[in-house]
Amino acid sequence: MSALGKRGPSPGGPSRTRPHSNLAILRFAVLALFAILTVQLARMQILQGDKYAQRSRENHVTQRFTLPPRGLIYDRNGEPLVANETIFHAIIVPEFLPPLPEKAAERYAIYLRLEALLDVPAFAIEAKVKEFEKAKRGYLQVPIKRYLTKEEALRLDELTAEMPGVSLLERPGRSYPAGQEFSQILGFIGDQTAEEYAVLRARGYELDESVGKAGIESFYETELRGTRGVIAAEQDAQGHLVRSIESRDPIPGTSLQLSIDAGLQRFVSDLLLTAMPDAKPENSATTAAAVVMNAKTGEIYAIVSIPSYDNNLFIRPELYPAELESLFADPRKPLLNQALTPSAPGSTFKLVTASAGLQEGTVKPTDGLCVNSTVMEVKGQNNVIYDFVDWKAHGCIDFRSAIAWSSNIFFYRVSCGILPDTVGYAPVRGLGKDSDEGAVILSYYSRLFGFGQATGIDFGGEGSVGTIPSPEWKRDVYSGPEYTENDRLWVYGDTCFMGIGQGNVSASPLQITRMTAAIANGGFLVTPHAAKAVLDADGKIIQSFQPKLTRLPLDDANLAVVREGMLRSVAEGAGALAAISGLAIAGKTGTAEFNLPSGAKAQHAWFTGFAPFDDPEVVVTVYFDLGIGGDKAAPVAGRILEYFMANVQP
Amino acid sequence: MMASHGHRRAGTFAGWDRFDYVMLGSALALVCYGILLIRSGASQEFDGPLTSFASPVMKQIVFACAGVIAMVVVSRFDYHYLTHFAWLLYAVSLLSLVALLAFGHSAYGSTRWFNVGPIQIQPSEFAKLATILLLARFFSEHGGDAKDLRTLLISLAIVGPPAFLVFIQPDLGTTMVFLATWLGIVLIAGVSRRHLLVMAAAGLALLPFVWTFAVADYQIERISVLVDPEEDPLDAGYNVIQSRIAVGSGGWFGKGLGNGEQTQLSYLKIPTKDFIFSVLGEELGFTGAMALFGLFILLLMRGIRVAQIAGDAAGQLVAVGIVVLILMQTFINVAVNVSLFPVTGIPLPFVSQGGSSLMSVFISIGVLQSIIMRHRAYRQT
Repeated sequence: MSALGKRGPSPGGPSRTRPHSNLAILRFAVLALFAILTVQLARMQILQGDKYAQRSRENHVTQRFTLPPRGLIYDRNGEPLVANETIFHAIIVPEFLPPLPEKAAERYAIYLRLEALLDVPAFAIEAKVKEFEKAKRGYLQVPIKRYLTKEEALRLDELTAEMPGVSLLERPGRSYPAGQEFSQILGFIGDQTAEEYAVLRARGYELDESVGKAGIESFYETELRGTRGVIAAEQDAQGHLVRSIESRDPIPGTSLQLSIDAGLQRFVSDLLLTAMPDAKPENSATTAAAVVMNAKTGEIYAIVSIPSYDNNLFIRPELYPAELESLFADPRKPLLNQALTPSAPGSTFKLVTASAGLQEGTVKPTDGLCVNSTVMEVKGQNNVIYDFVDWKAHGCIDFRSAIAWSSNIFFYRVSCGILPDTVGYAPVRGLGKDSDEGAVILSYYSRLFGFGQATGIDFGGEGSVGTIPSPEWKRDVYSGPEYTENDRLWVYGDTCFMGIGQGNVSASPLQITRMTAAIANGGFLVTPHAAKAVLDADGKIIQSFQPKLTRLPLDDANLAVVREGMLRSVAEGAGALAAISGLAIAGKTGTAEFNLPSGAKAQHAWFTGFAPFDDPEVVVTVYFDLGIGGDKAAPVAGRILEYFMANVQP
Repeated sequence: MMASHGHRRAGTFAGWDRFDYVMLGSALALVCYGILLIRSGASQEFDGPLTSFASPVMKQIVFACAGVIAMVVVSRFDYHYLTHFAWLLYAVSLLSLVALLAFGHSAYGSTRWFNVGPIQIQPSEFAKLATILLLARFFSEHGGDAKDLRTLLISLAIVGPPAFLVFIQPDLGTTMVFLATWLGIVLIAGVSRRHLLVMAAAGLALLPFVWTFAVADYQIERISVLVDPEEDPLDAGYNVIQSRIAVGSGGWFGKGLGNGEQTQLSYLKIPTKDFIFSVLGEELGFTGAMALFGLFILLLMRGIRVAQIAGDAAGQLVAVGIVVLILMQTFINVAVNVSLFPVTGIPLPFVSQGGSSLMSVFISIGVLQSIIMRHRAYRQT
């Protein structure tokens, strides 16, 4: 208190100097600091204000999507081929679990209950949750068990209220009850890959939406998907919806009616499976395919590929790792649709050669040839003799019988002609004035019939479009330095072998079916399709798919000759085993030679045909990877046509 | 009372005619501004009637009234009583800061206040004032300048203990306020530039050590999220992002009081306290912020005026300390809100909700008034 006393009389204190000048620094500091703040504020509020305003909107307006039920898929008679079913996952949001460390015991009790309920070890759940929490991602959904059974889901649903943090996630899923016969057609749906999402995002897809991955499910994704429902709401920082801004119910996807006849599809599948084995092991087929198609519209009634697979596996892939692995490892490639996979078409291709020859006028329906030996000896350069073989000494045959009996030598004559100096045959020109021109003409007609191109089938799976060789093609393929100029050269034999569907020609059963349909219907190339109509929720047709036809520059009179040859084939020729009493079937067999990987020769068995002969309704093509066409494929085709006439409503 | 009765000139000093009404007016304007913002920012947590004493608005009004009374009472005292008892006030502050570590209430990972019944007392608020008073007294007793290195070091020893005690609470922001206040006082007290440079160099040399051993992880995290808040958007970066969005989305004129989504939908944490400026930025925009800055600049300039015309070195240095104190708290608080500074938990003087802060700034204004009311009495020629 002495200080007080001291201050009384002389309150000025002990100060000596009062350096006022320094106060300017303080004034400056005040203004400078506020200037800094002002500059930053102007930057944020004025220069970047729009950006932050946008952020603010995104911050508090949340959109929650409700996924629409996916459209269903029916066969032509209304049999459902797919079903919608919910997929259940058990998840934990660690943030909402009882907090650690105070309630560690409660937390573990939840893990133990889950263990009892779902058969997932409690320590595993704990480890997963810890992993997310450690990464500071405790607000995310931690999957505990995916694809719960209905019972598990039901029990979990009852108990989630007692287990904070645990919830049941429901996602729309699919099942395919119709059978494996339909897998190749229907395809399946599944989670989007990163690449798919990059594309689908622009079309308004959410990452967690399933999409069609293959088959009809993929091709008709737009029709089947429907429209998402939206609930837009203002959301507070805790994620509570404060106020609804917009709400729209999901619109279910439209359904599809296929032209497929489920009964026929199953019948054909069973038939192929029964016919595949053979007494001779070298003729026992490992893969097979068949196509049954409307001859005039391209509507597919049945399209079978063997082996098939269970597309239900792909809906819950995590549950079937072993099955999927063996599926991918299967050398027969069950995921590949054999009906869309090209191989050597053999004699079925003679129908193209026949049509080309007649249309070009280089062969007349009345022309005949005497095939007295199975070998035609052709003198090549340097007087080397090449043997061009036939499967049979046909004797003297006319054009139609050549088709019926599938004479190779006759079709050498049509395609490449017969060279001078060929023993036992008079020289005659083929399709062109020389081998090159003949090949070019033949490849032109092949393309008319749709070979070497995608068929445009509406469930995809068309990989290779097959090969139609030509001189140019050969030069390209053998352009590598490992080949000699001789390898690149198109020779007489190339045109001959091409004319009988050998050499480098390859075609898929569906392409062959298209060709046969064009011959049957008088020259219209159809685009095959399996979807018939789009249906609304009540099953009413809202859109029918119209057949797509292309008129080919072929005279029906010429095609009629080919048809007659085909009729004769089943009536009395190589395709006789396809005959069915009471039904006029026209057809063509094919036995295509090819080299096995072992180097041994083997044969594909083909048959393609149509019925009834007078007014062709349906085309059928049957293919086995191993076997003789007339023996193996023809009878199957006959049975299929018999079933079709009795049971399928066109 | 002693001042008015026991003092010869106390009865005669004109008192209220020298009272700085402009300074009081700007302070009250800031408080009113704050009340408007508190009303908007608190609408989510409190939805009772505004007149209820549980309402944050009402609480703030009550504290503001108490603050004004405290200011008047303090202004009636000769500030030399305060500097005279500065050691005692300083000692009590230090003790309470130590006690805080033992008994204090923790929130947001930091221990900063006592709960006394319904009132929270934040000792660091008063420690700042006590330290300013002690520094002023110290320099005024030692010739009013800091030219002497020894004097300078002792002054650093005075500011050191409270700065350290708030640092370990931990409260990085208040520590910086302490150091800035000290710097302001020694600058005005005439520190030699050479000394200052040497000390700055020493401080810089110590910085890595401080960073490694003394700065808590949370501080490093807050600094790093300031650089890239999206790195950890839901944790440490949350407040930074949300305040940035709030302020940025305000634009020129804001969304209107009570219309800021960031504020009203609870994206902003502690919107009536540390982040009240974000509420202002969002709802009143750039213009609203400029108005606030204007009021602060007016208030601080009036404070500097006090330092300018103070009667003696003690008064001048106290005034300088208080001006720097208010300036730095304001600057750091706003800087946090505009993402220029890591989150520290410093309230905006006069504006943020909170009794301790309000009381202490009004007492500070009271001290300034006391100085200006007596400047003639102590004027030396």
